[in-house]
Amino acid sequence: MVSLEHVSKSFAAIKAVDNVTLAVKKAAITILTGADGAGKSTIFKMLVGLVKKDSGTILLNGEDIGSDYSRITSICGFMPERFSLYTDLSVEENLNFFAAIQQVPLPRREELKKRLLERTGMSPFRKRRAGALSGGMKQKLALSTILLSSPELIILDEPTTGVDPLSRIEFFVIIEALKNEGKTIVMSTPYLDEAEKGDNIVLIKNGRVMRQDSIAGLRDSFPARLFRILPRGNIFEVMARISAIPGLGGQVHMRGKFIRYMQTGSENLGRQIPHLEMVEEKPTLEDMYIYYERRQ
Amino acid sequence: MSAPALAAITVSDLSKNFGHFQAVKGISFTVAPGEIVGFLGPNGAGKTTTIKMITGLLKITSGTVLIGGLDNRKHLAAIKKKLGYMSQKFSLYPLLTAMENIEFFGGISGLPPAELRLHMARMEEQVASDILGQKIQDVPPGIRQKVALFVCLMPEPEIILLDEPTSGVDPEARRLFWNELYGLKKHGKTLLVSTHNLDEAEYCDRIIIIHNGEIVACGEPEELLRQKGKVNIEELFKDAIQEHGQN
Repeated sequence: MVSLEHVSKSFAAIKAVDNVTLAVKKAAITILTGADGAGKSTIFKMLVGLVKKDSGTILLNGEDIGSDYSRITSICGFMPERFSLYTDLSVEENLNFFAAIQQVPLPRREELKKRLLERTGMSPFRKRRAGALSGGMKQKLALSTILLSSPELIILDEPTTGVDPLSRIEFFVIIEALKNEGKTIVMSTPYLDEAEKGDNIVLIKNGRVMRQDSIAGLRDSFPARLFRILPRGNIFEVMARISAIPGLGGQVHMRGKFIRYMQTGSENLGRQIPHLEMVEEKPTLEDMYIYYERRQ
Repeated sequence: MSAPALAAITVSDLSKNFGHFQAVKGISFTVAPGEIVGFLGPNGAGKTTTIKMITGLLKITSGTVLIGGLDNRKHLAAIKKKLGYMSQKFSLYPLLTAMENIEFFGGISGLPPAELRLHMARMEEQVASDILGQKIQDVPPGIRQKVALFVCLMPEPEIILLDEPTSGVDPEARRLFWNELYGLKKHGKTLLVSTHNLDEAEYCDRIIIIHNGEIVACGEPEELLRQKGKVNIEELFKDAIQEHGQN
């Protein structure tokens, strides 16, 4: 639906976005993930014309939009990282205000508001001041304000950052329902376990796209293998023995009662330390992110 | 028959009221010496309130907290020497450099100057000097977190309470941080870690899930998954909280 081709942006000497090419598919969830400063917010701001790109092309349905960002903004709802809510207004007053500035026709407003409040579970809090809402509820209200205009494309910049795990889970249920209604969603998150839920995952570091694919595609093309080692005896002694093997120190880490080992080459840990009980497991997105980050 | 090892932390029927609001509702749990226990729950579940009552920073409404068998209301001075607390947001002075923070917190912890110098030298071995010379507000979150843990560990506490230590930290720094926590466990330290990252439950020996001031699940992560027939911690967490909410 929307794509960036070779897009770059610098702020003074800092290259915030470096030759990024990525595609946002229709009726799917695309998730950009990476550490703070990776360039995720800058990409979103360039998509909606809030930040001017230095070079590259932004396409909508295969056509270069040139400098006509209204082609994107007219079909999208953008939720910035810091929710733009009026904290002294109630939930309902915020919805009324945003419906007015988005020129939602008056006859539709009540029905839309009712539907959005029900969908987000906010109906009991309609009279509560936005400033008195929890982080999770603020996030749902902010999402509701951008859904008032029924956008086809929904851009969410770190909507779940700093929000507790239950609210994050609930938020994602809403996002998936929107996708099932045919909405196109592009969002960013620093939580890699959350990013795994995307249909298309874009791993970003220092303004560059390291990899992009579905979780299954990322796993299929991942060049390393992950093993769970079940140590017999003292886990710290086993860990010390493995870490002492030259080149392996950075490839093992403890996780509870297990040691996880990333085999990146032809090394054979089982041969170097006999009688190790090793079970292969699927790499997590965190494993893959760390692997590609180290090689960037 | 040898006597059972004394628990590092024993929380019994602990409650906390703020006016008419009961933030913690008579919870009980123990943490064994050398154990890493994860404390999970939504915002407002009572995690930070419980941790603050354990440290003695917050007055207990009812119930008891024993640290190594000592009641924290009767032996607070002795207990403070055993406990290290790394709060949410790391509690460092943003306009001081890493080294100035270390010097300041070492000073108020009463560390002798020679020992403090040793700690500072140790930090210089771990982090590049140009980063250590920057204001702590300007360094990457992973470094801030490292300095905050370092500061917390300087008085060599036996029991370490960490309140959301990995929030906002990138994946590699988070893994390195957990390596440090395992290093502490290896040396017999006891850790109670609250977190919003559900995947970190797997890093813990046991987890406690708390909701609306009550414990809704407690046990080894794998065992809990098996008992409840769940495939991952997110499912376990969501169901435990939803079931509790319906009761």
